Amino acid sequence: MSEIFLRRAESCAADAKTKVTKLRDHELLIEVEQEHVKPLITKLWTDGITRRLSTITGLDLGQKLGIVYHFWQNEDALHVRTTVPKTNAIAVSIVEIIPGAILYEMEIHDMFGVTFLGNPWMDKKLLLPETWPDDLPPPLLKTSKPAEIRKRLKLEVENK
Amino acid sequence: MESAGLMKYSTENLVPFGPIHPALKEPEYFKLVLEGEKIVEVIPRIGYVHRGLEKAAESRPWVQNMYMFERTCGICSFVHSLCYGQAVEGLTMYEVPKRAKYIRLIVAELERIHSHLLWVGLMGHWAGFETLFMWVWRDREIVLDIVEAISGNRVHKSMNAFCGVRRDMPENMEDRIVEKMKYLADRARYYREIIDTEETMLERTEKVGKVSADTAEKLCAVGPMARYVGIQHDIRLNDPYAAYDEVPFSIVTRNEGDVQGLLRLRLDEILVSTDLVTYAVKHLPEGPIRVKIPPIIPAGEHSSHCEAPRGEIFYYVKSTGGRTPDRVKSRQPTMANLPTALEMLKGQTIADVPIVLTAIDPCFGCMDRMSFLDSETNKIWTWSGEQLRQYGIKYYKQRRT
Amino acid sequence: MASLTPTYDIERFGAVLVPSPRHADVLIVTGTVNAQTRDRLRKVYDQMPEPKHVIALGACSAAGGVFKGCYNAAQGVQDVIPVDMFIPGCPPRPEAIMYGVLKLLGEVK
Repeated sequence: MSEIFLRRAESCAADAKTKVTKLRDHELLIEVEQEHVKPLITKLWTDGITRRLSTITGLDLGQKLGIVYHFWQNEDALHVRTTVPKTNAIAVSIVEIIPGAILYEMEIHDMFGVTFLGNPWMDKKLLLPETWPDDLPPPLLKTSKPAEIRKRLKLEVENK
Repeated sequence: MESAGLMKYSTENLVPFGPIHPALKEPEYFKLVLEGEKIVEVIPRIGYVHRGLEKAAESRPWVQNMYMFERTCGICSFVHSLCYGQAVEGLTMYEVPKRAKYIRLIVAELERIHSHLLWVGLMGHWAGFETLFMWVWRDREIVLDIVEAISGNRVHKSMNAFCGVRRDMPENMEDRIVEKMKYLADRARYYREIIDTEETMLERTEKVGKVSADTAEKLCAVGPMARYVGIQHDIRLNDPYAAYDEVPFSIVTRNEGDVQGLLRLRLDEILVSTDLVTYAVKHLPEGPIRVKIPPIIPAGEHSSHCEAPRGEIFYYVKSTGGRTPDRVKSRQPTMANLPTALEMLKGQTIADVPIVLTAIDPCFGCMDRMSFLDSETNKIWTWSGEQLRQYGIKYYKQRRT
Repeated sequence: MASLTPTYDIERFGAVLVPSPRHADVLIVTGTVNAQTRDRLRKVYDQMPEPKHVIALGACSAAGGVFKGCYNAAQGVQDVIPVDMFIPGCPPRPEAIMYGVLKLLGEVK
């Protein structure tokens, strides 16, 4: 079962400029460029290779931001990773294929500042407070410091 | 009516939420738009329990994070630490001893029994059936007593460690646990009878909160929210962890696709769980309960998932070979089931809101404050949870007479 | 919440849950306060008539607890409203809660 899944997943990526890595038994990582994210995920989903998207994770990779889609089917896990630049971080949304991804993309928007083109809720906050200052960078960037965020959100009393 | 500049998705695309009315500016937990009596749009805001755990995890030692993530939720705390533990263990070359896997299963299933019982009681509360609530919460105490005997605590059990558990099963507990499991199974069967015959529950739950299996799958529903429409989605079956590959497990699915089906499903799952605990304590293997591992976790990335009482819980960890993680991602089941809940609400009336939202077994007290907008009269009002509950009870009472 | 149920039953000591701050003598705060709930907590406190008291329940309400250092968590409820009593625990047992509440009522009388 597992080998078939891995081969099917690999074959979806075969025609893109992608890197396929077997992390360990039953865990595969496919790295794709932004323009191939939607075609790859469309094929994975509509061909029934996987019908389970666990979540989408944002990463601060230093120079760039990473977006990892976590799929699985039975004992096999498949991570699809793409990158976007840190400034002007725009990514493609997959809500057209998988509507359930809407909140996962909103979370990455809150936490890393990525805008997902095609997601109708990019103007709304999911987890961050409405009082989040416009000039305060997103919290999960490595350069963001919790103590500073608490001060800006007025969660700390001065001169206790 | 629509805020300028926003895209509106047609229902064919199954995106469950719509444009926001400019008047609904306050950060309510849920905003519901009505057309006549029916709900047409629901807008969620769930940030009020957001604390910033994933960020904090990056500056804490690996093991400390286990106890922090345990406190994400009081009800599924064990499975949080288990899932995080498994994700980190996968980056190392160490194996979890068999006895520890069985103990993990026992505590996880006790947690499930507790969670499902608590939920049945809450459903009774929202439907105005207070007696059910009180009975169930008394049964809960039995589970909490066993959990306390095993772990020393009622809620945050702190039982997990990397590659094992921190405390062994106490001696001479087997008979007591088996006896209590039998008692709880009998109670679950009794409640099952009640929800199938009691008018108060039936009228609030039959044919309420329907979605199709296809919708649930596209909206990434997990756990009971997938199983109640017949999808065979249970990590204990699909991708077994701990000792689930060695114990007789039967998945519970239903086909009604309504809240009544969810009640039956979770009560039947309690029966499966009592069987699992009974089997596991009787077949507990000998051996060590833990393998100690170094504080530095090798570089790499790994994910793990478990079947929490509410559905799939998912952890992804990334290590750069240090004492603290580079990244920890934690996805609770409620987030996965929220889009399905919002879809369930469409077409229902206000009176159904507390039952439908509670039906997904949400991990937040979302009903503290809700806003309503009547799209025909432009009237906006806010209700507290208690106001909403009283309205629902009165509405159905009037419908009966 | 367990303190309200039959096994512990705090009602026999005269303590009752009320639906509105305007009817309350004591406010019990559990868990962490974040940016989204801070203003609401202040409003609830302001709506209570005098004399009023606040109990901070648990390690998180007292000093941030396990969420110390988190970017969206107040490091103790006393950063938002004045607190009269802290009941420690993670979480505090129902007996501890009852003891704390009764102690406060005893002191108040």
